[in-house]
Amino acid sequence: MIPTFLQRAPIRRLLIVLGIVAVVELITGPPGSNQYPTSGFTGSYAEAASFFGLFRTQRWVEFVALALVAWGIVEFWTRFGATIRSRGSVALAGPRQVSEKRPVRVGFALALLVLGILLPHIVNNAFWQSALVTYVAIYVLLAIGLNVVVGFAGLLDLGYVAFYAIGAYTTAWVTGALPTPPPFGHPLDAFWAIPFAVVFVVIAGVLLGAPTLRLRGDYLAIVTLGFGEIITIFANNLYGITGGSTGTKQIPHPVFHVGPIKYTWGLAPVPYYYLALGSVVLFLVVFSLLQRSRVGRAWTAIREDEVAAESLGINPLKFKVMAFAVGAASAGFAGVITASADNFLFPSSFTLVFSINILVLVILGGMGSISGVVVGAIIIQVIQAYLNHTPPAGYQQPDLYIYVGALLITMMIFRPAGLIPSRQRRREITLYETSHEGHPDEVLLGDDV
Amino acid sequence: MTAENVFEVEHVTLRFGGVVSLNDVSLFQKRGEILAVIGPNGAGKTSLFNSLTGVYQPQEGTITFHRADGRSMSVIGKKAHRVAGAGVARTFQASRMFSALSAFDNVKIGAEDHGGFGVVGAMVRGPRTRHDDRRSDEKTAELLRFVGLADRANVIAASLSYGERRRLEIARGLATLPEVLLLDEPAAGTNPSEKLDLARLIRRVRDELGVTILLIEHDMKLVMSLAERLYVLNFGSVIAEGTPAEIRANPVVIEAYLGTSAEASA
Repeated sequence: MIPTFLQRAPIRRLLIVLGIVAVVELITGPPGSNQYPTSGFTGSYAEAASFFGLFRTQRWVEFVALALVAWGIVEFWTRFGATIRSRGSVALAGPRQVSEKRPVRVGFALALLVLGILLPHIVNNAFWQSALVTYVAIYVLLAIGLNVVVGFAGLLDLGYVAFYAIGAYTTAWVTGALPTPPPFGHPLDAFWAIPFAVVFVVIAGVLLGAPTLRLRGDYLAIVTLGFGEIITIFANNLYGITGGSTGTKQIPHPVFHVGPIKYTWGLAPVPYYYLALGSVVLFLVVFSLLQRSRVGRAWTAIREDEVAAESLGINPLKFKVMAFAVGAASAGFAGVITASADNFLFPSSFTLVFSINILVLVILGGMGSISGVVVGAIIIQVIQAYLNHTPPAGYQQPDLYIYVGALLITMMIFRPAGLIPSRQRRREITLYETSHEGHPDEVLLGDDV
Repeated sequence: MTAENVFEVEHVTLRFGGVVSLNDVSLFQKRGEILAVIGPNGAGKTSLFNSLTGVYQPQEGTITFHRADGRSMSVIGKKAHRVAGAGVARTFQASRMFSALSAFDNVKIGAEDHGGFGVVGAMVRGPRTRHDDRRSDEKTAELLRFVGLADRANVIAASLSYGERRRLEIARGLATLPEVLLLDEPAAGTNPSEKLDLARLIRRVRDELGVTILLIEHDMKLVMSLAERLYVLNFGSVIAEGTPAEIRANPVVIEAYLGTSAEASA
């Protein structure tokens, strides 16, 4: 029999929060050792720690305090959350209407662009200048591309890293850094790898898409997962073509040389930032134009109800392959920029975890919402860069997944459609939660079979 | 084999494993006719619809779709989107709207041309794309007016009433400029006054737009008042064909719906 006082919701929630905090405490605590098997436990709970720099105490006191604060917030939100939210939406109705006007939106986008251009000069720090490229810009480029596949067309792609790898390897090939002879017999500048990479990833997208996109949902996810793995294994084992597991270290920096104009990228990160920013802007324009075109509407139709879409004359396979190929293009770009900025290339950088990372950015930002995905990618990647650069005491790099996982779970509970959800997606999710009617996964065509 | 027929279905058999869903079904539909298919639950009506629209592929028999321009198409073996593109539109038994989109966008997706353009063409919005876009907007507005949903154009499909959703689905089907419209239980879940409106709308679709109508319906009053000819399916086979008056008097039909006297006494 559960005692009656435990059945009260606030008490129950307090116990849940305490339980979660106890687990977090254990996870973030020191590891155990062979000599002292229980040292992991005692160290996690009873280790001396300073109470947020105020006075000395033990770790468990700190975490109980944390639990109480978290519980307080949860209680406050359950009691007053609905009121706050409804008042908030009333108060924001005016600004929201203004923000939906076209000139306002364009102006806002231009202001952000100016900020983006000035950013490397505002951030006057070598680490952050390079982080803007390696942590942020590249990932934004990848996330907006995957968003076309996952968000617009509703196809779960777990092998997106393959297109990134193809872009990077194409760069190495075109510049003569691989054992394979470069095209036309002599190496080209890395800048000219861009058209090659785009053509190659689009072809790869079509080749992968045409046979596999007949599958739905989970089946498609498994096949794309396989594709990602195949590319890595190819890169690892085809010594004569890709250089095998050691990859290559000879990719030159890009040079833009047309007529009298010549620009050489070097070791400094800022020029790469502008190259990446340019590509991001290009793809943002391309993808948002596409979203608003009939191609975008056909994608929406397929995502919402493939059977109904087909009954209107939409060829689902054609539009899905299109989404795959278009989404892959930005990954190709990202591959070129990374490969030529880093000069080196290893098959081991193109892993399943990488694909999942990109997918997490898309989900957190808001599937189908371009602005959401951009903002989501920036936030997550900046946090990641910060944690790697100035790790808090006891933080190790793999810990990141614990935090990202926790963030993902929290998001799924409170904002399932993402940080800045697209309006359609939010509606789809609420509709799906209230009833399963008309959901794309439903393949029932009628009651008599 | 007259050219006045839109559909000619001959000896069609459709199986799912050991289950025979359609058994040697032969029927035809004249151009401009309102034809109904009735039958008890599980008789194979929706299977017939899915076979006519390319969703199911029957193992035996032929289905020919004759277009007004004299060209014919063999439906079996064609993908659903090809059949739809040739001029066969349909609605679904459990209404399948794009629930998160507005009524307008639902119809507009139907009205748009889904082939003959590339990614770049759609993106750049050249004169042709803009022209196409304007035309589908006009067509959409016109159809919403036709089905009486002009003032609901910006409402999200999921928040429309059941009857409105049925009418929206008809508008979406009509937006593809079909020659035949297949309606799978359009009156299911609607109230009596909505049913009357729907019957009037279906007749207007035929009279004013010249679209041939094939109908599955359980509501006998509606079917008998609307259809000019009927087929009765039972256990996947056609058991009767005729005008509403003939069907009503047909002993085989009465038996299928009410059971035999032997069964009744057993």
